[in-house]
Amino acid sequence: MRNTLILVGLLAACSLAALGQGYATQPADALVFPIGVEGTVYEDMELGVRGGTLHIPNIEDPRAWNNHTAHETSTTWFTYRMHRGLVNLDHISGAIVPDLAKGWEISEDGLVITFHLREGLKWSDGMPITADDVLFTYNDVVLNEDVDCNSRDGQILPDGTFPVCEKLDDYTVRFTLSTIYRPFLNSVGVGIMPKHKLAQYVHKLNPDVPAGTFNETWTLDMDLSELVGNGPWIVTDYAVNVSVTMERNPYYYGYDPAGTQLPYYDKIVNHIVANQDVSMLKFRNGEVDVYALRPEDIPILLPEGPAKRFQVMVTDLAGYGTTWICPNQDIGLGDGTDAEKRELYRNVEFREAIAHLLDKDTMVQNVLNGLGTAQWTGVSLPSPFYAGRDYYGGPTTESDAVWFEYDPALAASKLDALGVVDQDGDGWRDLPSGAPLTIEINTNDNTTRIAYCLIIQDDLRAAGLNAQFQVVDFNTLVNKLFAATGDIIQLGLTGGDEPNSGKNVYTSCGSLHAYRYSACEDPDEVDLRIDELMDLGANTFDLDEAFEYYKEYQILLAHQLGYIYLCQPTFLYAHYDYVGNAFKASPISTPGGNNGNLTELCFDKRL
Amino acid sequence: MKRNGLRALGLMSCAIVFVSLIGFAVDLYDIVANETVPEISKAAGLNLVDDYISTYTAEELADLAANGATPGIRLAADRALFKLNDGLLALVALDQDTLYAMAAAGDQDAAEAWVFNARASYKRPDAAEEAIADCKVVTIEIALGELLGGFYGPGSPIGQKPKDELLRMVVGDVLGLRIAAATALTTYWIQEGSLTIPQVEAAIRANTGVNPELALAHQGLLTYLYGQE
Repeated sequence: MRNTLILVGLLAACSLAALGQGYATQPADALVFPIGVEGTVYEDMELGVRGGTLHIPNIEDPRAWNNHTAHETSTTWFTYRMHRGLVNLDHISGAIVPDLAKGWEISEDGLVITFHLREGLKWSDGMPITADDVLFTYNDVVLNEDVDCNSRDGQILPDGTFPVCEKLDDYTVRFTLSTIYRPFLNSVGVGIMPKHKLAQYVHKLNPDVPAGTFNETWTLDMDLSELVGNGPWIVTDYAVNVSVTMERNPYYYGYDPAGTQLPYYDKIVNHIVANQDVSMLKFRNGEVDVYALRPEDIPILLPEGPAKRFQVMVTDLAGYGTTWICPNQDIGLGDGTDAEKRELYRNVEFREAIAHLLDKDTMVQNVLNGLGTAQWTGVSLPSPFYAGRDYYGGPTTESDAVWFEYDPALAASKLDALGVVDQDGDGWRDLPSGAPLTIEINTNDNTTRIAYCLIIQDDLRAAGLNAQFQVVDFNTLVNKLFAATGDIIQLGLTGGDEPNSGKNVYTSCGSLHAYRYSACEDPDEVDLRIDELMDLGANTFDLDEAFEYYKEYQILLAHQLGYIYLCQPTFLYAHYDYVGNAFKASPISTPGGNNGNLTELCFDKRL
Repeated sequence: MKRNGLRALGLMSCAIVFVSLIGFAVDLYDIVANETVPEISKAAGLNLVDDYISTYTAEELADLAANGATPGIRLAADRALFKLNDGLLALVALDQDTLYAMAAAGDQDAAEAWVFNARASYKRPDAAEEAIADCKVVTIEIALGELLGGFYGPGSPIGQKPKDELLRMVVGDVLGLRIAAATALTTYWIQEGSLTIPQVEAAIRANTGVNPELALAHQGLLTYLYGQE
């Protein structure tokens, strides 16, 4: 059987001739990562040495090298490392930080953001990076309707318009917004592309090429010596179904505090393997250095780690997204039924009783096999706005977390106080009027969700609530959610760094405000304050100020218990001890996907 | 072509000389050639696998695996051959029925591959424990035990057991549970790093043939310690 470390090249391999010689000295405007600097989230990382090759497994081939036409992570894993934007998300904290831009100013009225590019930087072929490249990227690629661009929708402002990008000088660009919109700072971080290489493929700049030509540019069969980037890596070799090799961009502008240009590794070799099982075996054999493991891999890898000198990182970092139950506070509203039940569900004391009946520890142990963490808010834990942090992008201390501890006795006392007691002696609590109370819990045919619901059913029944769990198909479940015809629904939502993305869920007129759609017509004080806070958070560019707004809204939501949160799986990976700084975060994946991974900050400790 | 015992010994002598010339740890060769306690011999052998790969042809390895003079030599050659033939990677590509049949015929590697392929069914220790209780094939029971040991050992997010319980389990009635306990104990001891080679060798000598899985647990630790020398 072939040795997969030997590259069987089917496509032209060309690398060193296409890359420049690098900076003679560290650029004055270099991006310095505070590795080992006390008081930063990087403080316990080590300064590394340059050299070596990082071997990682990949289960899919890329589909192109074009960052802006890619729609799949198998491609963007590579293109993200070749093309960086004006801003980025910090590797560790997830906070928005300067990248290609060294800073920005926001006008008094919040409608004009001026970015200052780092001066003296070069593309991987030695050509200068200037504002012309930013304008080209934004105006001629991202906003160009001829281009099948994956990031265009993310640029749209609340009023349906796009920011206007203008060049002020070679190193200054200005974006003018029609409305104050802080999330723009996140969406503006698209990878900047080299105008000198790509303008020729854009019809509006070169009428000699047909419209849409850009979509077929930088495909897999291109001459890799033509590939030019500004990120830490450049693809220099690709063998279909075998491997992708990336080498250090000699003109990458990232440095460590000791003046060492990053990335530390000379190369990354992505070994394309058939599936995750093969990835795992190659990791065990020492053929790859890092592995994104699954829960079922843990009992196999844990005993081998000490002898083979690798770490199985069972982190306490939850991934993005939420899992919850949603008591329908509009139950029966549509057809004029269930008035008393609706009144009960709308009583926060009842929802608190339900919250105290959720045994999240058991859920983590029995559903997530110990590999999970309880949730209390709708903003994902990796987000720099997560209210369990002390400040924007700060450490997670949970000092302001709102927990409803599993406490059946307290739940019972709350139910008793509400008059939800067994009045007819059948063993089940009734509505205060004495009418029977039955609670139907629904989810779809998903083993994890079913497992959650069975635990919840048992705990509610143990408290005397006649809970009946029933699996329904996904479309029926979603219809119940949207039509407010369900009772208690168990589901989940995706998540991200930007709380404003949850506006459709948490604002009183949001399309997914499924716990009480009637709040749009009849908001209470909490609803109104949450609406206000969501706008305040989006309408300030002061990230610390936005953090305080979002913190308040998360705490209000937690007390409001519209969605009652359950648990989320935690993030797992494994790495060999010799991969320096990999203890801090995986160099190949993160809870949040591609953002914030550490390929440029890891190094080979054996050197 | 099979070689007779004298020629095999001669080959081993040449190997010792060859390895000495390149500055290898000769004591491992001495152990693997002369140690009579199987677990100690095997611990040395497991540290010679890569060396055997670079020293012998596949044919020579096959001969040593079958006819090597000591358990350590036979194990080193067997593992070297396994590695040369892509190890578990090749086996996991087979279907489960084929692997089960191979396991039932005594192929421990096939059993490991069978459990590897089925491990998503054993995400919790109780699932592995039930499978052990119902198991009809010894090699698969051993492989399940090794998997279960991953749950029992240090760092496991679910099912971790304390050492004193494992020390009772490793001499208990059920093979799969003894193997699980042995796997977990090895991991504990490696992490603790408090036992010396002479202590471990002594523990093996005290248990070999009497408490085989306890000896096996110490063999795992000794393999690691020999590799650090």
